[in-house]
Amino acid sequence: MSGPNEHNQESLDRYSRQMMFPEIGEEGQRRIRRGRVTLCGCGALGTVIANVLTRAGVGFLRIIDRDFIEWHNLQRQVLFDEDDVRECLPKAEAAARKLRRINSDVEIEPIVADVDHTNILEFVQDADVILDGTDNFETRYLINDAAVKLGKPWVYGGCIGSHGQTMTIIPGETPCLRCVIESAPPPGMAPTCETAGILGSAVNVIASLQAVEALKILSGRKDAINRNLIYIDIWEDVFKAFKIEALREKVDCPTCKKGEFPWLEGKFGSHTTTLCGRNAVQVVHRRNERLSFEELAEKLKGVSDVRYNRFMLRFTVDGYEFTVFPDGRAIIKGTNDIAKARTLYAQYVGN
Amino acid sequence: MAVKVQIPTPLRQYTDGQDVVEVSGTNVGEVLQALGEKYPGITERLLENGRVRRFVNIYVNDEDIRYLNDLDTPVKDGDEVAIIPAVAGGQA
Repeated sequence: MSGPNEHNQESLDRYSRQMMFPEIGEEGQRRIRRGRVTLCGCGALGTVIANVLTRAGVGFLRIIDRDFIEWHNLQRQVLFDEDDVRECLPKAEAAARKLRRINSDVEIEPIVADVDHTNILEFVQDADVILDGTDNFETRYLINDAAVKLGKPWVYGGCIGSHGQTMTIIPGETPCLRCVIESAPPPGMAPTCETAGILGSAVNVIASLQAVEALKILSGRKDAINRNLIYIDIWEDVFKAFKIEALREKVDCPTCKKGEFPWLEGKFGSHTTTLCGRNAVQVVHRRNERLSFEELAEKLKGVSDVRYNRFMLRFTVDGYEFTVFPDGRAIIKGTNDIAKARTLYAQYVGN
Repeated sequence: MAVKVQIPTPLRQYTDGQDVVEVSGTNVGEVLQALGEKYPGITERLLENGRVRRFVNIYVNDEDIRYLNDLDTPVKDGDEVAIIPAVAGGQA
């Protein structure tokens, strides 16, 4: 018997307010308790998603993240605090420590790694749902490939400035990410959080929508999922649900119609290597469209002095010197850490 | 035919910072052409070889034009055209 201040792990008491919500109920809660989740990325979106799902009582939560916590993360990454920064903790580990204190019912598995085509199947094969807490389309198309191939539901979310978007993908039932967003914005064409900023509120809204989609799926209520592309701008009070369901029939999607999984096969995406003895990493980004230096320079205007000619573009941020080439390749000086270089590339150059 | 076009943040440098602009046209292609005439430079960011760029989606009254009639999708007075580029961030 447990006392009034003890928590009995077999009991569902702590979820009483969630079970009282009739769409979930006790049966839905029992299903959630058995549910297995893989969360790719544990930064802004990921910490909010992990927080909601852990409190909601999922059975198992695997958190994969390649990064460490920095001071400028604390503005919006809700699971981290100043001690975590001082301890130089990886995000996945710091999140797991916090989440275990929040709800010891939930089995948390932190993994400090870069999700890529060699490891993603292992990370998602035993999950009931995959959540996107990443910041780049390369990883999102990789998740999409893996999810469609294995027939697993996943929830996309992205946030910049005051706006964000999310959609839920049930392979075989809804359009996939590639049906809706046919290709990633070329480097330099899309703003990133580092060039356009990001508001914590926007992240909280999008991540909360993603988390509730996971709860619908885990509680056996796929019928209730969001079938639109939701778009919000919290500064401009824009709340839109764009209808995308018919795209599944209409678009000749290479992923869901033809069963092509180029990201999963490692044909697309960055192939990154350290440049020996130079304290530099080369990020190679395979893509067809050439990079526009003019657009990239415009995007970086507020961040750094940018110089470019027609062969290369150079700028320095936080002591890292970027040299970017028209084919999207970049050499980042100031680090030997591949994961760090890929993060920097995504932050300042793009996807 | 006056149509309201929602301009996403990264493209507002072309529209003097305006988030919604009004232009005329009888279909989406004409609307985008009129937009480019009024705000030079913006069309190149949206179209490539006469086709909507693959990372940009265009909606007429919340419907994706790819399952309507693409750039030939007709528009009428008061319709809303939304330009929605893919959103990257979220983790770092």
